[in-house]
Amino acid sequence: MSVRRTTLAARIGLPVAVAALLLFALFPVYWMISTALDPKAVTRGSDVLPSGFSFEHFTYVFEKGNFGTYLLNSAIVGFGTILAAGVLSLFAAIAVARFKFRFRTSVLIMVLIVQMVPLEALVIPLFIQMRDYDMLNSLLGLTIVYVALSLPFAIWTLRGFVQTVPKEVEEAAYIDGASWFRMFRSVLLPLVAPGLVATSIFAFITAWNEFVFAYTFMKGSDKYTAAVGIYQFFGENSTAWGPVMASSTLVTVPVMIFFVIVHRKLGSGLAAGAVKG
Amino acid sequence: MKDTLVGGGPKEDATDRRPATRPEHTAALRKKRLVGLARPWLLLAPSLLVLAGLLLWPLIQVGKLSMQDYAVKFGGGVGTFTGFDHYTDLLGSALLWKTVLPNTAFFAIACVGLTVALGTLVALLLNRLGPAWRLICSIAVLAAWAMPAVTGTYVWIWLFQPQDGMVSQIAGSMGLIDPETTNWFTERGPFYAIATLNVVHHGFPFVAITVLAGLMTIPKELYEAGELDGANAWQRFWKITVPTILPVFLVVTILSTIWDFKVFTQIYLMPGGDGANEEVYNLGVFSYIQAFAKNDYGTGAAAAVLLTLLLLAITIVYIRTLFRQGEEDQ
Repeated sequence: MSVRRTTLAARIGLPVAVAALLLFALFPVYWMISTALDPKAVTRGSDVLPSGFSFEHFTYVFEKGNFGTYLLNSAIVGFGTILAAGVLSLFAAIAVARFKFRFRTSVLIMVLIVQMVPLEALVIPLFIQMRDYDMLNSLLGLTIVYVALSLPFAIWTLRGFVQTVPKEVEEAAYIDGASWFRMFRSVLLPLVAPGLVATSIFAFITAWNEFVFAYTFMKGSDKYTAAVGIYQFFGENSTAWGPVMASSTLVTVPVMIFFVIVHRKLGSGLAAGAVKG
Repeated sequence: MKDTLVGGGPKEDATDRRPATRPEHTAALRKKRLVGLARPWLLLAPSLLVLAGLLLWPLIQVGKLSMQDYAVKFGGGVGTFTGFDHYTDLLGSALLWKTVLPNTAFFAIACVGLTVALGTLVALLLNRLGPAWRLICSIAVLAAWAMPAVTGTYVWIWLFQPQDGMVSQIAGSMGLIDPETTNWFTERGPFYAIATLNVVHHGFPFVAITVLAGLMTIPKELYEAGELDGANAWQRFWKITVPTILPVFLVVTILSTIWDFKVFTQIYLMPGGDGANEEVYNLGVFSYIQAFAKNDYGTGAAAAVLLTLLLLAITIVYIRTLFRQGEEDQ
């Protein structure tokens, strides 16, 4: 817009702002990865460059720390959450975006309210419930909790996507004699697919990153998720920073790859969820 | 609350539906309407069941627990009704008023203020950059966002680790601190300053990406028209940019407020944050420690209810904003 009138301030200010942003955003990421690769992780202190490159911390977390099992547990829980939350939230989003019915606004408000419920308030009663039903230490139990956690946001975001599909397109399908399910499969589903991808990623990341429930419910070390598994390398007084950062890298990098792949959809999804509200 | 909801419903419906009856399809539509009455509820049922069973029911349970002394016995728990005892104890404790609540509130205010301000600045910056630099910066922002709370927290701890941490060593070499004796994590101020850095780093990308999406919906023609009318850059910003992104801005502020009041993982994982240091309790950690470390489920539940009520108040503001905005859109 005002690119034509490049003032001196803008010519200096813009690169400085970009550099500051890149430094703040990326330095912690860089520090994590370079510590993970540095064989002398603990004594590196203020050296910006690692003293060498080695994968010894990575092999350590797999061989001594059983991190492969934790990653597998996280993946199982994550994909379970995607599947269940994706299907459930799509149904619900279609209901609130497409049909008019009594209490529709009430349902929407309830969905918003549960989004704010603090996990710390739920973890006590859910722990007791899970214990009473013998679901502690169960990946299925954890998955069910994560489905519930990711549903409100998924419904809200998908609702925005369903609303952007013009009603005329659907009506045209009806006039051509299509049944509702036919219309759903061949008209609505392909059009909201990007939204479904975005919400699936969110559901997956919710499950992948979650700490409180996994930490509280999973007490057998073979049932840890990756986010909790890092905790065992972290000591109160002496911490093995190499393994902590290596396992942190293993947890973070898949999420980063996802984010970069879907970043376009992410922005529009959030805007649809926020603005269409 | 229900009255306003039902009252708001039809108004919304009347505007976003076109007249449904076309004479030639009346019969078909009537049948469809009958099915249509049940269909939304069938579609909603699974989600509502999951939400009710795993969020609503536990919320009721936590309310009930907060009025009980709950003792774990072999094979189950036994609750003894104690009325509002836990609440009077909690609200009468100096720890709540001197430590827990100030920590929670000041931390949330600092995080929200910094997150929204930084996120908005980054969005404005991204909007001014050319496509290549915008992509590079967006990816950096996404990288910060993608860092899970757990791993992000460990990195910030590692940076500020006494003696070995990078920041401690640099500050030591500059003579600002004695790296052998300084521990940033034992005192409330530095502890929460590091937590704030962590939460802002994790939270500003959401604001930046959302505000950027809002900025990109502003047609370029508006700015050109403004320029033709003789508005300078400052005036164009206040008259065109701000009004357009105001709704997005409000939503991200309120959402950040909700999130930052209930920060748990980032505090709990920091040295001393797991209950070892009472100075740094916030409401969520306090509730968790009471329940799971001290086996005092009743007090923990009461603190959890307190946190929920606090967030409920904020959420009401959030919902009112959203729905007011929805009406303006139509």
